[in-house]
This record gives sequence, structure tokens and C-alpha cells, in this order.
Amino acid sequence: MALLPLTALFEGDVLELLIPVDDGDTVEAVTGAIAHHVVGRRVAKRDAPIRLRHHGNVLDPQVTIGSAGVGPLDHVEAFYA
Amino acid sequence: MPKLSRSDWYDLARDTNWTFRYVTEEEVFPEELSGTHRVSTDGWLKWDEPYKIGYREYVHNQVTKDTTTYSLKNAIGRSKLFDQLDPGWKSVIVAHYGAISMPEYLASIGEARMGRFGRAAAWRNTATFGTLDEIRHGQIQTFFPYGLLDKEPRGDWALKAFHTNNWIVLAVRYLFDDMFVANDALSIALQLTFTLETGFTNLQFLGMAADAIDVGDLEFGALISSIQTDEARHAQQGEPTIKVLIENGEKEWGQFLIDHMFWRSWRIFALLTGLSMDYYTPLESRRMSFKEFIEDWVVKQFADQFRDYGLDFPWYWDEFINELTWYHHAIHLGVWNYRPTVWWNPDAGVSEAERLWLEEKYPGWNRDFGRHWDVITENVRNGDIAATLPETLPITCNLCQLPIVRAAGVIVGAHTDPAPLTHVHNGRKYLFCSEPCRWIFTQRPDRFAGHQSLIDRVLSGEISPPDLGTVLEYFGLSPEEQGQDADNYAWALNGNGTKG
Repeated sequence: MALLPLTALFEGDVLELLIPVDDGDTVEAVTGAIAHHVVGRRVAKRDAPIRLRHHGNVLDPQVTIGSAGVGPLDHVEAFYA
Repeated sequence: MPKLSRSDWYDLARDTNWTFRYVTEEEVFPEELSGTHRVSTDGWLKWDEPYKIGYREYVHNQVTKDTTTYSLKNAIGRSKLFDQLDPGWKSVIVAHYGAISMPEYLASIGEARMGRFGRAAAWRNTATFGTLDEIRHGQIQTFFPYGLLDKEPRGDWALKAFHTNNWIVLAVRYLFDDMFVANDALSIALQLTFTLETGFTNLQFLGMAADAIDVGDLEFGALISSIQTDEARHAQQGEPTIKVLIENGEKEWGQFLIDHMFWRSWRIFALLTGLSMDYYTPLESRRMSFKEFIEDWVVKQFADQFRDYGLDFPWYWDEFINELTWYHHAIHLGVWNYRPTVWWNPDAGVSEAERLWLEEKYPGWNRDFGRHWDVITENVRNGDIAATLPETLPITCNLCQLPIVRAAGVIVGAHTDPAPLTHVHNGRKYLFCSEPCRWIFTQRPDRFAGHQSLIDRVLSGEISPPDLGTVLEYFGLSPEEQGQDADNYAWALNGNGTKG
């Protein structure tokens, strides 16, 4: 369990954001943390699931972000699937 | 007693080049401070300033300018002129004073460095006048906003800003440290005077003075005009410097220094002038868009300069031209969202009428940026202001220190990948907003590697806990000083789409 600062974008937004998470958080929780700062704020809400992309790979929502191979200050992108 | 005309004595009085007997040339002009050793001493003797002035004439001109400007200030200070100005325009000048007054004063250090370490007596002479200019600019641009304190307390950010670690100041200070405070005489001549002043600020000050008169801010107009005429003179140090470099086979080095600083100047210009021209200046007073201004003035100016001196356009020119359509719109969205973190009141500038203007000037603006403002407008209309304010920080670039808005380039089709660019130096990972910012860093990493960006300061624990309250305190912003929407959301709340 350790702090894992990410640089994150929600697809369709323009700002790259600092999202500090715990490496034990699930990908789903990280996705939610990113969406919290963007959806309904600068990007319209949509009734669709949100996924997370890292180096072009869509991550399994249930695994932890640390075990998904995401490192400090890595760029991740949340997007409407 | 008959007086000699200037041309009879000028060269003799100016060319006080000494032949050193007790010290070496290297000791008098250490390369780190002078930067001129690529060219021989004889080569520098050809340095000749295009615009000549004697001390008597200089003092006479400056006294006349000061008398006019201060008289106007005294007359206007007794009027209600400032109270009647558009809130967006007030933001333009409050932002300007905070970001520019101290750098003007610091530029006197850069001019003084050329005045001491420039290799030609003619250059040192011109730079001495430049030093006096910049001291005046620092003082007058601090004095004027202090006259506004009873109407606009944040006028004191003219002095205060550079004594804080506000994120805008981090960006501006880091740029000007690179450009003149921590730079050698030759690089200052090419990067401050040739690139920033001739290419950007001299033209911008002309435009700003005209805009100020147009919106009824006679005081600011007179101030800026009085400064611009100095800039036009001392900015000319770049031309003879690049000429000497080229004549001595050192064009490549000059080109590198210009390429480096053109990009950095563009970045800060997009932030300060881009937002002012396209969002803060009242619609009825906008003579041209920021993009039109850059194309008609800055691009033309540089094209002429490059042609005249046989220089090439910077390698990233296409990217620069491309950014004119989107970069400052993305930065504006960020600055408005983060409005409590700046010392002026950002003007959203997106009333119905303003959106029509933006779409006309930037076809596709509604598709690319209007959709974000649609969501924001809806939140304002629903009374959910909290949803329009930030809860985390943006990632900032390790070179320009501005928020990374690369994704906006993807939205408009200019980039294919929104991921920040990275570079690892001595085990530390650096993030960049653009290829030119990364290029500038990697060309001379030791020059930049030690600097801590806003994000580095958060991650190192210097800003802790990293919540907005702590960050605002770190930025030196009391609740009264924090920026608010300039129009109190009239642009969203008024059904007729006026600014209110």
C-alpha cells in the first residue's frame, strides 16, 4: 500500500490532472476518482460504463492499479466504453 | 559656445574600448556572463546600433514622457474612470501588473549585464540606456497600480506577485530567469531583445495601448505607450548582435537561441495575451482576434527578420501555427476553472454574443470548446458553483510550467496522442506539454533539471496536504485576493446572452 500519483485524462477533457491514488486501489476506483473531477464538470454525463486505458491497453476494472503495471506519474486515460 | 551635432562626437564618445594590459580578455568578459567568445574581439567592433541617442537627449525624452504620463494619472485619479471600466478589462490590467511589473524591473539586471559584459562599447552604451529604461518600467508599472489600491486592492500584486510561489508566477519567473536574470549578455540580446521584445512585446504594447484607449482606460493607455517607445529603442540590440554572429560563421548558435526562446515566449504570450484579447477584452472593443494579431503582426515580424538575416523558421513552426487555433482556448478553460488560484478575476467571456464571435474567428470553437462551456453553463444555471471549481491540481509542464492541455490538440486533430511527453534525466522523470518544450530541456538539461514544478512541490511534500486550501495559501492568496468570475456569472444567467 503506497501512494501512487498518476497523470490522468478523461477522454474529451483538455486538462491533464494529478490524481493521487493508492497502489492497492482497484482500477475501477481509480477510474471513478478521475471521473469525479471531470464528468458533469467539463464533460457531459453519459449513461455508459467508464474504462481505463494505460499504454493503449484497457485495464481490468477489478485488479489493483499497482498490479496492472501502472507506475508513478504514468499517464492513464478514462473513457466511456 | 556652439554645440557640436551628435554625429560629430558620437562615435568618439561611444567607442570606449580599452586595450587590457593587466588582465586578460577572458577575465574581463568571462564566458559564463558574456557568452561572446565564439566571435573575436575585432569581430565585435562591427557592432553598431541602428538607433542612436545621447545622454542629454535620453534624459530630455524620458522627462517629457514621465511628465505627460504622471500628469494624466493625476488628472484621472480624481475621476471615476476606473470604476466605469468593464470588469474583464480590469482583469486584463490586474493580471498584467502582477505578471509584468517585476519582470520589467528584473530586465534591468539583464540590460546591466549587457551593459557590462557586452563585447562592444557601442553595445554596452545602448544597454546602459536599456538598464535605465527597465528600472523606469519596473517603477512606473508598480506606482500606477498602487494608485488604484482603494479601488482595486490587488493592484499590490504588481510588487507582491514575484514574492510568492503562485503557479502563474512560477511560470513567468522561470521563463524570465532563463531569458535574462540567469543568462549571458549575448543570449540576452538574442532572446530578450531580438525574440521577445522585437517579436512579441513591442507589438503587443502597441495593440494594448490602442485597446486601452478604446475601452476608456486612458491611464493604462498612456502608461503602455510611454513604455513601448523605450522598448522599440532598446529592443534593437538584437539586430547588430545576430548580424555579428552571422558574419562570423556562428549563425547556427544564434538560430538555436532564437528557436529556444521563440517557443517559450509564445507559451507565456498565449497565456497572458491570448486570454486578454479573446476572452477578457469587452466584445465591442475587440479589433482583432488573438490569432489574427499573431498572424498579422508577430508572424509577419519574424518572417521579415528571418528573411533579412538569412535565418530559418524554427523547426517547430508548423506546430506553432497549428496551436494558434486551440492552445490558448484550452489554457483559458483551465485558468477559469482554477480562478481562485490567480490574483485577477478571470472573465469567462462566453456569453451568447461572445460565443458567436469565437465561432466566427475560430471555426469549430463550439464543437471543440463550447461543449465544455455548455456543461459549465448548466452547472452555473443550476446554482452548482462548486461543480465549476477544482478539487485537484492540473499536471504542469517541467519546462513552461503551464498546465498540460495536450489533449485539446487531439480534440482539434492537431495531435494523435494526448499523453504528456516524458524524459528521464539522472533518474528523474520530467513531463512536458509539447515536443518543443521537451527539445529545449534536452538540449541543455543541466540548465533546467533542478527546477521544481508545482507538481514536484506537491509530490515532495513542500505543499502538504495537497488540498486546495493549502495550495491557495502556498500561492499567497487570501480569500479576498482569490480570483472570482469577473462578471459574477452574468454570461450564463442572463437569458439574452449579454454580459450583464
